[in-house]
Amino acid sequence: MYSVLVCDDSLVARKQVAKCLPQDWEVSVHFAKNGEEAMGLLNQGKGDLLLLDLNMPIMDGYQTLEAIKQANLSTKTVVISGDIQPEAHQRVTSLGAIDFIRKPVDPQTLHSVLTKHNVLASEKEEEVEEASLHPDVRDCYQEITNIAMGQAGDHLARIMNVFVRLPIPNVNLIEVSELHMMLSDIESHEQVSAVCQGFIGPGISGEALCILSDSSFDDVAKILDVKGAVDDQLQLELLMDAASILIGTCLTGLANQMDVNFSQGHPIVLGQHRAITEIISMNKIKWKRTLAIELSYGLEGYNVQCDLILLFTEDSMEMMNKKLSHLLEDFE
Amino acid sequence: MSQSLEELQEFHWMMDMLQSVDVGIVVLDRNCNIQIWNGFMESHSGLLPSDVRDKSLFELFPHIDQNWFKQKTKPVFELKSRAFLTWEQRPYLFKFANYRPITGSESFMYQNITLSPLVSATGKVDFISMMIYDMTDVAVGKKQLESLQVLMSEAQERSQRS
Repeated sequence: MYSVLVCDDSLVARKQVAKCLPQDWEVSVHFAKNGEEAMGLLNQGKGDLLLLDLNMPIMDGYQTLEAIKQANLSTKTVVISGDIQPEAHQRVTSLGAIDFIRKPVDPQTLHSVLTKHNVLASEKEEEVEEASLHPDVRDCYQEITNIAMGQAGDHLARIMNVFVRLPIPNVNLIEVSELHMMLSDIESHEQVSAVCQGFIGPGISGEALCILSDSSFDDVAKILDVKGAVDDQLQLELLMDAASILIGTCLTGLANQMDVNFSQGHPIVLGQHRAITEIISMNKIKWKRTLAIELSYGLEGYNVQCDLILLFTEDSMEMMNKKLSHLLEDFE
Repeated sequence: MSQSLEELQEFHWMMDMLQSVDVGIVVLDRNCNIQIWNGFMESHSGLLPSDVRDKSLFELFPHIDQNWFKQKTKPVFELKSRAFLTWEQRPYLFKFANYRPITGSESFMYQNITLSPLVSATGKVDFISMMIYDMTDVAVGKKQLESLQVLMSEAQERSQRS
């Protein structure tokens, strides 16, 4: 994923610059307080784009530009400074900066500078290529999920005596940041609760995430024939019931088609957990992308919205494709 | 006749239960050759029971210290007593991936191990069972708590000094 490094000694300025980044631009933003910190991050590959202040302690903007030149880094640098003398502009350009923006920066200026130097456009093209899944493979995953989901829906319908509207599975390779956004979304919307459960089989591992909107609880209680007030404790109970039925049947369906067996770990409640947004950042991340299969269940006649997300580790796909080779061959 | 059939059925679901329980179960002989292991071990290691039968534990998992492990099994065979290994002592015996590969914060599974004797009809112990428990969540919780305690005592010291 494209990363942006904001380097300024003032916290206010760093925040201001970060706020001016295009809203719909999916990037990871890093911060540095001076040139030295910035170089450390750049060497870790954290900064395809550097937004650099000039006057800073320890190592100033000019020195940083020199260091980048010397280290032969591919970082694109835009200088954002209050120093608007013509000479400053000239000097930074000669040191390799692609543009100069005067402080205070505003979103329009930043956007036009980024567009001018193709930073926005080139990044988007790249990402589409990177995150794409071969259409045949996607089709195949979609098909097996369809079958598994049909079974899951059937079980649900029998147990709850309702008609289940079956969704079309959404199969995608997603990046760490997208998952992060998805998870923080769960936290910020108070009206959802989520359960997460790990599963593993030979060569295939991943996690299932079951998200139930809180407005669904009353109806779920009705369906499961639970009497009494729906308090927190009962909500959790209902969430767990729905999650184990959905996750269990869906995984069994997938496992049958791939001719494997999955072991399932204990489910973890995510929604009530304070650290949910920290989950990914804490992780000494070894994975970059994950295969996500999203299913959105609805029940006819009830206000129930339930999402099931199956996340497979990227290296599971090799084994999955092998197990599904009989289906994939048909496409050739 | 019907009694033996019932017993057979009982045996069948008993086996099913051992196969699917979310705890690793391994049976070892005196030379630490694997006799059998269950679904948990199969899933996490990627090796089928037929792949590991009569193979030495140390050949399959070369990172296990042979002398150290034999030392632990000795009292189980000789004294028929149980032996325990906790994650605090060694984070893991088998290097398995975290059960939650996506949202888990550790890359591997912390394990508690219990070794217990399997006494035969003759009263001798020729085999022992090893049970592997996933302790990752406990370990992560404890580590987080400890780092918080360090942060707090640091803050306390700082406020005392100023």
